[in-house]
Amino acid sequence: MSISDQPLLLPSARPASRVAIRQVGSYETDLSAIILETLLEFRLPVSGKTVLLKPNLVGLDPGLVIDTHPAVIAAAREAFLRLGAARVLVGDGPAVERDFEAVAESVRLREALGPLAGILIDLNLDDPRRVALRTRASNLRELYLPASVLQADFVVSLPKLKTHHWAGVTLSLKNMFGIVPGGCYGWPKNILHWAGITNAILDIASTLRTDFAIVDGIVGMEGNGPIQGQPKPCGVLVLGDDPVAVDATCTRVMGLRPERVEHLAKASRLLGHLDEEKIQQIGEAIARVRTPFAVVDQFTHLVASSVSRPS
Amino acid sequence: MSAGPQKTGSFRDGVCLPFLRDSQNQDGGWGYQLRSESRTEATSWAVIALQNIPQSGRSDPWAEALDRGTEWLLSAQLPDGSWPSHRSGNRGCWCTSLALLALKSRAADGKAAAKAREWLLGTWPAEGGIWWRLRNRLRSDPGLVRQNLALRGWGWTPGTSSWVEPTSYALLALEGYPENSSRSLRERRRLGEAMLLDRMCPGGGWNNGNPRVYGVAGEPAVGPTVWALLALRRERSRPEVERSLTWLSDWLSATPDRGQGPASIALASICLETLGRSAAPPEPALKECYDANQFLTNVLTFAWATMALTPECGWPACGGLST
Repeated sequence: MSISDQPLLLPSARPASRVAIRQVGSYETDLSAIILETLLEFRLPVSGKTVLLKPNLVGLDPGLVIDTHPAVIAAAREAFLRLGAARVLVGDGPAVERDFEAVAESVRLREALGPLAGILIDLNLDDPRRVALRTRASNLRELYLPASVLQADFVVSLPKLKTHHWAGVTLSLKNMFGIVPGGCYGWPKNILHWAGITNAILDIASTLRTDFAIVDGIVGMEGNGPIQGQPKPCGVLVLGDDPVAVDATCTRVMGLRPERVEHLAKASRLLGHLDEEKIQQIGEAIARVRTPFAVVDQFTHLVASSVSRPS
Repeated sequence: MSAGPQKTGSFRDGVCLPFLRDSQNQDGGWGYQLRSESRTEATSWAVIALQNIPQSGRSDPWAEALDRGTEWLLSAQLPDGSWPSHRSGNRGCWCTSLALLALKSRAADGKAAAKAREWLLGTWPAEGGIWWRLRNRLRSDPGLVRQNLALRGWGWTPGTSSWVEPTSYALLALEGYPENSSRSLRERRRLGEAMLLDRMCPGGGWNNGNPRVYGVAGEPAVGPTVWALLALRRERSRPEVERSLTWLSDWLSATPDRGQGPASIALASICLETLGRSAAPPEPALKECYDANQFLTNVLTFAWATMALTPECGWPACGGLST
């Protein structure tokens, strides 16, 4: 079960987190080897387990600029299988496009993964289970969540590195919006907007365990994301077992201040580390890969003062 | 299901109908996918698709399946006349419109349908509240999204905003009832249709988000465009409706590289056929998709493919709905 039973701890009571930054030139690189090497450093307990990869397949993306790149999804799947996972499933529930097969075909996921039947799960249409939310950041109190996610032994958030016109950034925490089933709440999942995006992110993150995060930042998206922004080559994969720390690191890579991203700031109180001093960096240093991302006017306050903003 | 369509018989008869037969659950309903729990939306579309299969002989081979499906729907209705999306749900939602459509297709327009109609007419989206409107007026950023919030349709779930698809479903479900029977019916139709026209993307078509965000025009999508066009059939002569129809027609004839999934192909074909636009027969494209992914065993896709491959039915005109 992927329902979280981890204690909600204040930052001072939590051990330091580790986040790996891997510099990757292109999607043609041997991504599986890079991801596997990093997973081995984290000693993940996935042998014999069912792993669910949750990429960001938010919409039709023939240009491969919106969704998590299929090469990253396939590489992550291969790496977890090589680590000994019994099954590695791929599931998402797009927020605004109901034709999930069209989304998968638009990014040529079948070419990357092989036959999709039996591997790819439309979480929007999965059997729903009522789950009491662990926190009360929003007034939701409970949500129906997909049985396939709840039954997975190990859940991996696999987002793309993007700015977001409502939330500032969309990374491994915001990516988990996609598990909330449209079959119960519609397309988009408007109940989450009414509950407040920040608060809904927090309630989902505190309730559902995200065991690991792999962020596709090889080419990210800046500006009016998550759909209408511009592609932004950044050349990184960011990986870690603390989604808050991974997202904070990604935000810094984007030249933004994580403490000013509302959902990250709030998540850091109980769910993970935001403070750079509490995050042990593996691989590349942030400064070496920092790539300033443009943001819409509403989020200029996120831009770190030491970073020149792209025009 | 075995991979690949049968060699004998049409794709509908050889693949789609057997799938729908085999995927009906013991309780009479259909789940969204093979061997999944019965759901209101999947059951509604399976019933509508099977109801529209022309009978070739004296007996209807689908009569028992249809009876069981209808019974499931009737048993899942909540006391207030609405339907939840799934059996353990306790609040009505957009599926009410689809269940009502299914009951009407079966001419089962009795008490259950009357209660559903009343629920639809009495259910307003959340943006209608006075406090919400006041707060929105004070806080809204005019550059963010541009739409007329006074035009209220229907939301996906209670307590949320109007959206194109649930509004279209409700308008379709409320079709065929005489306008003079209810002032609220007249008013809801007027508002719903106006809301759909207001939410159209600048270049034609509709999407499931906002037509324009931060000044950037949204891309239309097939599903919402189909439902909005079907719901706006009374406005067929409007240039913006014609523009949207052209967008849909162009989409269907474009190269498959743009992400043409089988559900979208089937829906676009149904819509173009219903609105009298010529289009290539959908069977080859649907077969190709089936060969690739077996429609991911999605019951909605099989139901819509069945309807698209039954053009003589003239959906949704048959089954008691009037155009």
